[in-house]
Amino acid sequence: MMTQPLTDNDGWTAYCQETNGKDKAVIIAITDLISILDAVNVPIVVVRNDFTVAGFNKMAADTFGLSSPDIGQSPSNIPIFAGLSRLEEQCSQAIARGLETSANFRCEDKWFAVRVAPYSIDNRQATGTVLTFNNITAFRASTDQAIYEREYSKAILNTVGDPLVVLNADQLILSGNRSFYTMFQLSREETQGLPVYELGKGMLKSSPLNTQLKEMFVSAKAFRPLEVDYASPESGQRTLLIDARPLFLPGRSDRRVLVTFQDITARKQAEAIERNKTQEKLRHTEAFLAEAQHLSRTGSFSWRVQTDEITWSEQLYRIFELDQGVPISLEFIGTRVHPEDKPLLQDMIERARATGSDLEYEYRLLMSNQSLKYVRLIAHGTRDKNGLLEYIGAVQDVTQRRLSEEALARARSELAHVSRVASLGVLTASIAHEVNQPLAGIITNASTCLRMLAANPLNIDGARETARRTIRDGNRASEVITRLRALFSKRAVTIEAVDLNEAAREVIALSGGDLQRNGVVLRTELADKLPFVGGDRIQIQQVIINLLRNASDAVRGLDDRRRQVVISTALDDGNHVRLTVQDTGVGFGTQSAERLFEAFYTTKSDGMGIGLSVSRSIIESHNGRLWAVSNEGPGATFSISIPAYSGKETPVGEASALHPPVTTNAQSSAGIS
Amino acid sequence: MKVVHPLVSVVDDDESVRESLPDLLKEFGFSAKAFASAEEFLASDSVSKTKCLIVDIAMPGMTGPDLQRELSRRKLPIPIIFITAHADETMRPRLIEQGAVECLFKPFSDTALQQALGAALQL
Repeated sequence: MMTQPLTDNDGWTAYCQETNGKDKAVIIAITDLISILDAVNVPIVVVRNDFTVAGFNKMAADTFGLSSPDIGQSPSNIPIFAGLSRLEEQCSQAIARGLETSANFRCEDKWFAVRVAPYSIDNRQATGTVLTFNNITAFRASTDQAIYEREYSKAILNTVGDPLVVLNADQLILSGNRSFYTMFQLSREETQGLPVYELGKGMLKSSPLNTQLKEMFVSAKAFRPLEVDYASPESGQRTLLIDARPLFLPGRSDRRVLVTFQDITARKQAEAIERNKTQEKLRHTEAFLAEAQHLSRTGSFSWRVQTDEITWSEQLYRIFELDQGVPISLEFIGTRVHPEDKPLLQDMIERARATGSDLEYEYRLLMSNQSLKYVRLIAHGTRDKNGLLEYIGAVQDVTQRRLSEEALARARSELAHVSRVASLGVLTASIAHEVNQPLAGIITNASTCLRMLAANPLNIDGARETARRTIRDGNRASEVITRLRALFSKRAVTIEAVDLNEAAREVIALSGGDLQRNGVVLRTELADKLPFVGGDRIQIQQVIINLLRNASDAVRGLDDRRRQVVISTALDDGNHVRLTVQDTGVGFGTQSAERLFEAFYTTKSDGMGIGLSVSRSIIESHNGRLWAVSNEGPGATFSISIPAYSGKETPVGEASALHPPVTTNAQSSAGIS
Repeated sequence: MKVVHPLVSVVDDDESVRESLPDLLKEFGFSAKAFASAEEFLASDSVSKTKCLIVDIAMPGMTGPDLQRELSRRKLPIPIIFITAHADETMRPRLIEQGAVECLFKPFSDTALQQALGAALQL
């Protein structure tokens, strides 16, 4: 029976051996006790007063790996209890004085609170100790975590650059972070229990901080951040942004508040600089725009079509000669628009309302002093997100341009008139010369004739001869008139077959006097058997006159070489006839030959600069060309080339009748002839 | 008795004048010669014999005033009567100032010419 184990746990071997010879009831009691101990989920080790292991329960066997050889051993010899350095001392104290002690002990990854309690049999002196091992691993872990969490929070708070401070409900300082103490140059002890508004040499006393904190506590009102100027003993004038939040501590009823002091000096400065910059930029942009509007005499406006809300730029007020900011309505604008242009304005308004399309109008404004202004309006319609139409536009004061255009037009017509008169004068002189020559002959011959008839003896033969010459010269004068009539009597532009040689001869005959007066030697080199060209003879002759006169003028001042002009004709390109006027004159220097053909361009001190431009337009209306080249020697050569007559010509168009001085000569001269 | 007829030379590129004027001059009692250009006159042997010159102002090549200058250069102080078909009133005083006896505008009367010749030859 004694060899029969009382339990499957061999921790109780010693006790089992002691049951030898005990009666059955005792055995049953021991067995029950062992079973109960094994059932306890706390490791229990029984140590005798000689400090040897007496036994252990199942939980101790499982937890510490104890087995029967450990029975009778000193716990100090069992490696797993190495951590319990004072165990023997504790056990002997427990036995000697009946004192319970405890110690914490780590076994692998578990922590145990070991309770060392004495036990005695029969209430006598203690016979040993009972070690109970309370597993406190979980408890230890949570404590460690709590410590860690606290240190962690503290580290964070101290790392935070912004000063933080915690107040109680009476606004007394409880604690702050490192930045807080640094900022106010105060120690933890100095600030403990200090009312928060005492901080910073009273800078907070006049601020609403006090009131706001009260409101937060009393009526849970949210704190509105405050900006406060603070003369820092360390870094001078600073701007602080003070904010506060209630602190809720779980499981605690007292209320606290966290106050932060953010140094926003740098940000404020940056903002101020940025704001200044932006304002400066805006001012500059506005000034730029205003100046641009002023210089370009252009005002801008916006017009909300639905509501007729109109806004004007300063310049637009200036154009309308109104005080800045006077409210503007369409009706008012209507009162400033010239009565004759009001239908235009009405048309614009209707078009804007109906279509929303872009606008472009020109109006005259009648100012209060009865002066006129010309304005040009351009506007673009856009719709906002609600689909409402708004026009953005510009109004330019084009009065000056208009007046200059009118002045220019007047000047042009005056020039044309002057040119006409001048040309007429030249032509008249030319005609007078042509007629005076034969008249001189007639009068001289007639005078001679009379003298011969009055002579003694009578000179009948001489008288007959002079009378004959008188008739001849009379005919000559008559021919001049006939030629003039032929040249100028036709007014309508007609396309006919023109013999360029014949046309040139007539012109030469007419211009002879002009050439002679200038001492010009004219040479003609007219080619034979040229085809006729198609065109208006009068117009072509006018061009030839012009070229010849230019050539004559070009050589007029020459003293060092012959004043020679050569007029020649030739077949050009097979189906064109070319007429060339070459002079030995001053030429046109380095000027582009093309400039010669610009209206009002002239190298002559007394010229109008119109002849060549008109001449070219005449020749071009004949599908021909008029061009100029500098000679290799002195002077210039002007050429016209006109297509041969085919009988199918139609005029390309009237010779550009910008200034028709030559044509007008013909008309004026028609009256003379 | 041999009557001396002073030589009056006519220089004009207009043929009518060259034909008609010498006849009239002869009726006045002068001897007359006509030349078509100043160059022709200068090249002739009449230059030194000419007592009065009637010259057209505008001629191809050498003009009337050109001829006047040329004669002045040659120190040949022949009295000159200019004739011209261009009635330019501004030209007349200028030419007279430069030494011309007279400037007649074509057509001129025989009496006007006779007076001018009288002045030229100080008859």
